[in-house]
Amino acid sequence: MGDMVAEDEVRLIEAGSNPTRFARGWHCMGLADSFRDGRPHEIKVFGQTAVVFADSSGKLHMIDAFCRHMGGNLAKGTIKGDEIACPFHDWRWNGEGRCTNVPYARRTPLRARTTTWLTLERNGLLFAWNDPQGNPPPPHVTIPEIEDYGTDRWSSWSWKSYLVEGAHCREIVDNVVDMAHFFYVHYQIPHYFKNVFEGHVATQHMRSTGREDIKTGVQMDLPEAVTRSEASYYGPSFMLDTIWTESGGETIEAKLVNCHYPISPDSFLLQYGIIVERKPGTGVEQAEEMARTFTDGLEVQFLQDVEIWKHKSRIENPLLTEEDGPVYQLRRWYQQFYVDVEDVTPEMVQRFEFEVDCEAAVAKWQAESRENAARENSAQA
Amino acid sequence: MQPITCHECGTRVLVEKYSEIHTSVQWLEDAEAACPEFARLAEQGTHSAFVSTCMALRRSIGAAVREGRVPESRFSEPAPLPTEGR
Ligand code: FES
Ligand SMILES: [Fe+2]
Repeated sequence: MGDMVAEDEVRLIEAGSNPTRFARGWHCMGLADSFRDGRPHEIKVFGQTAVVFADSSGKLHMIDAFCRHMGGNLAKGTIKGDEIACPFHDWRWNGEGRCTNVPYARRTPLRARTTTWLTLERNGLLFAWNDPQGNPPPPHVTIPEIEDYGTDRWSSWSWKSYLVEGAHCREIVDNVVDMAHFFYVHYQIPHYFKNVFEGHVATQHMRSTGREDIKTGVQMDLPEAVTRSEASYYGPSFMLDTIWTESGGETIEAKLVNCHYPISPDSFLLQYGIIVERKPGTGVEQAEEMARTFTDGLEVQFLQDVEIWKHKSRIENPLLTEEDGPVYQLRRWYQQFYVDVEDVTPEMVQRFEFEVDCEAAVAKWQAESRENAARENSAQA
Repeated sequence: MQPITCHECGTRVLVEKYSEIHTSVQWLEDAEAACPEFARLAEQGTHSAFVSTCMALRRSIGAAVREGRVPESRFSEPAPLPTEGR
């Protein structure tokens, strides 16, 4: 191996296979309020079918959708008080997964419990904890609170989701180290790019500018905008990104969520949302408008990622250059979520830092986008 | 990767340089336990996972590079696990 590869040897892709296990960690299920419409909601997730419902206090619960009596689908049932009632024979199940009442029977089978997921509501989002071993999350493994969330400092979530089929969700996580795809897929030019992996957190520090030839809403339609971004994965699936867009001495802060939950080994629901800081003096309308512009810009970008994932091969042995980020080390970090906690090795969680040298790439990309822009201008003239 | 010792706290890490700007650092212990700078920030509520670098370690790496102790290398396979001397 190493440098001893013969000059004309064909390199083969090791595609490997998608893990059948689902990652340990907090997974975002969507906007919490969207589950509080008085109805149960079916969610296909972690290879199972779950139902999310709100009890009379508005607290959200997530339990297995299939009734342990005869297999009725609770998501097709109704919420009665604090319980969900099965449409088949009206058995009542509470948020702890206990059958509390069988209206027509003299005795309720008290001992049987159904599958439940621990839930957490944070920043207006609903999270479910998945652990194939059935352990609760350690206290430090949680989702951070966004400062001032819920006050009028922030716009409300502009939220979208997209079903991706035919790809494992590792593809989306790989993006966190993929410096070069930001130019080709997201129309950004990264000038500074650094990753830090430590514990259950993987972070990307980036500073980027837009392309001259292709503009996106992510630059908020501001000229000469510089974007600073600090994005962290809190576990295997939830990324929270703080983005500062700087232009003409003004800075706009936004929070971007990029998350997913696995449905099956080769499908997942991609979700993304944005809140934008309201500047004193900017009205509610204007902040919502900016959030929409930004989210629309992001949607274009995400759909381009999706287009890549749908058609690419899984690859265990990517061939890298010095300008590519630390794909292998990222996957070593990601692996911790797919093994039992006892089998998490120090290398998976020990701090690792990687700063990419973007200099050569920036020079080439600026020249390329400038040439494209000039060509387009002269074609229009 | 080349072993480098921080001259502030004595923590030993492995370092690789592809170029003047590129730096890759593999820590070998718990960062907050090993590095007083990270420990101090953690006490103030910012955990090391969110801090891009320890400035003292960065200076130590800079010095080692100037002394020629971290020769520039290239991406080489197999990549997965950084080990000493590669
Ligand atoms: S199957 Fe649910 S009540 Fe009978
Ligand atoms: Fe991407």
